[in-house]
Amino acid sequence: MRRRFAAPLAAALALAGAPATAQSPQARNFAPEQLKTGAEIYERNCSPCHGARMLDPQGAADLRKFPRDERERFINSVTRGKNQMPPWGGLLKPEEVEALWAYVVAGGKI
Amino acid sequence: MKFIASAAAVLFFCAAAVTAQTLDDLKNDGKNTDNVLTHGMGYHLQRYSPLNQINKKTVRRLVPVWNLSLDNNWGEQAQPIVYNGVMVVTNARATVAIDLATGKQIWKHTLDWPPETPRVVCCGVSNKGAAIYNGRVYRTTLDAHVLALDAKDGKEIWKSKVAEWKDGYSLTVAPLIANGVLITGISGAEFGIRGFIDGWDPETGKQLWRHYTIPARGEKGNETWPQDNNAWEIGGGSAWITGSYDPELDLMYWGIGNPAPWASQRRPGDNLYTSSVLALRPKTGEVAWYYQFTPNDAYDYDACWELILADLKLQGRGRKVLMQLNRNGFLYVLDRTNGQLISANAYEKVNWASQVDLKTGRPVETDIAKSIRDMKATEHWPSTRGAKNWQHSAFNPQTGLLYANTLHEGRMYKHLETKPYTVGQRYQFIENLPLPRVPGEPVGHIEAIDPLTAAKKWRVPLMDFQIWSAMLATGGGLLFTGKETGEFIALDADTGKQLWQFQTGSGINAMPVTFTQKGRQYVTVLSGIGGLYWNIAREQLKDKVPPGGSVWTFALMQD
Repeated sequence: MRRRFAAPLAAALALAGAPATAQSPQARNFAPEQLKTGAEIYERNCSPCHGARMLDPQGAADLRKFPRDERERFINSVTRGKNQMPPWGGLLKPEEVEALWAYVVAGGKI
Repeated sequence: MKFIASAAAVLFFCAAAVTAQTLDDLKNDGKNTDNVLTHGMGYHLQRYSPLNQINKKTVRRLVPVWNLSLDNNWGEQAQPIVYNGVMVVTNARATVAIDLATGKQIWKHTLDWPPETPRVVCCGVSNKGAAIYNGRVYRTTLDAHVLALDAKDGKEIWKSKVAEWKDGYSLTVAPLIANGVLITGISGAEFGIRGFIDGWDPETGKQLWRHYTIPARGEKGNETWPQDNNAWEIGGGSAWITGSYDPELDLMYWGIGNPAPWASQRRPGDNLYTSSVLALRPKTGEVAWYYQFTPNDAYDYDACWELILADLKLQGRGRKVLMQLNRNGFLYVLDRTNGQLISANAYEKVNWASQVDLKTGRPVETDIAKSIRDMKATEHWPSTRGAKNWQHSAFNPQTGLLYANTLHEGRMYKHLETKPYTVGQRYQFIENLPLPRVPGEPVGHIEAIDPLTAAKKWRVPLMDFQIWSAMLATGGGLLFTGKETGEFIALDADTGKQLWQFQTGSGINAMPVTFTQKGRQYVTVLSGIGGLYWNIAREQLKDKVPPGGSVWTFALMQD
């Protein structure tokens, strides 16, 4: 039992460590409060498709790979919707979408 | 001139009477094999047809006779309805009537819901099919309406709002007509709805009754919710798979969904009637009995799946039973006259409970369950997607076996701290991460299962992709189902050996049917990848399986 448990746990830990390497220097430019807001919105509304902490995107876009210099594209996609993702502009305020961008740029680290 | 008009009117009404489906027609669905009038191919939801023209010997001559595009990329999950030479199919975007003889479209009724609606749809933009009664087609819509169409031309007769989609409510369920009442459920437990089942007047669209699946303060069952917070008001309990109906007992059986949020710390208690079955009177919505499969469900083990009715011999005595391959990994058999538990055996790998106590009817939770409830990341079997998901199983009354596409999947599951409810937004608070794939371990099975013991007569492992398509069993000794990679397949029901396949244009995650026209047996299935598994496996499937809905109909090749 212990052995069975150990392998998946190790894999989960490995996954959990992955975003650290993706963290951009710009992340330091975001206020901690903004990152916290982004994390909360992400956890509630985005993680069901894009995966917990962006670790398991399954069918949706892998946000760990989203180009960090394409903020406008990110804001537009979230606000207006893209492919099978519905528009979120009617639910999230512009500053909340910005907070999500901060969370993504920070690689899920807050 | 006046006389001619009157005669025409009389003729019109005669024709209407001939084309109207009565309650007796619905009750006897399956006896006239030219029609498929109910979801589940009979009120019992057995998905079994005695037809045997297509059988183990002849199936090699099975060929497509027509294909019709549905012009839809969201995915096809519906079961067709067949009446009087016309087939009716639905998806999230449209209802389509097709001439069986030619495969040509007779009419199409399209829907236009707001583009934001998928925000409140947890598991795929889809529709499970229509109901037909008295010359009308009934269906539900993604933005939580129910509507009646004229079966002749698809014109809208009435449209009733069920709930506000912005509050998290949506509808994909195929309606049920029981004792003259149109019945619908609801989706949205992942968004903190308070679930319900509705009865409608099929003639006018007027709501006759609403039965909430979570009792209000002061009602029996509410004491199983905290009394010092409003968890019951936002506690989930959806009903998104069509119930079965026993006309003799005049009871319908609806499986009720998971509680909200999935993380359970704010809702101690059994949380009735989530993750339960309710036996209800169709005329009034009154509950005759209930049974809860997973008290205080912490695992998204909603119990919406098909509740198959059959008469089984038990210790020499015939029993009217109800069977369910529950998401929680146990196969339940209940006496459907009173809800008494007869048997409950694990049919897949289960680690959250060791057994179901037949005396109390409750699962015996293990240390794994404790670890999950203690908010620790825990290897959990079956995963929240269940040992079986919504892919409907079949029951052959001749063999007494259930035939199912099951899932073999565990995940690293963790409850997170819950946050305040926000209307129309996700209300789950969990992390659910994959386990590494163990080499040689299947991802699911196609299997034949004894309902009382859960023993497998045979089991075919699936090594690449799970099957999220319903099963159809026939008197020809065959099973029909479809793969996410597009193959429509026929298996030998005695062994599970694949005897035939045809590659359709997209993935299959729908519900096949069989019927006759002028003495010739046909099989129909919708192809069009979509739904939850498309969300899950899109990365692996996207370069192999294009989306795009269509209807495929097959028959034996003629000389």
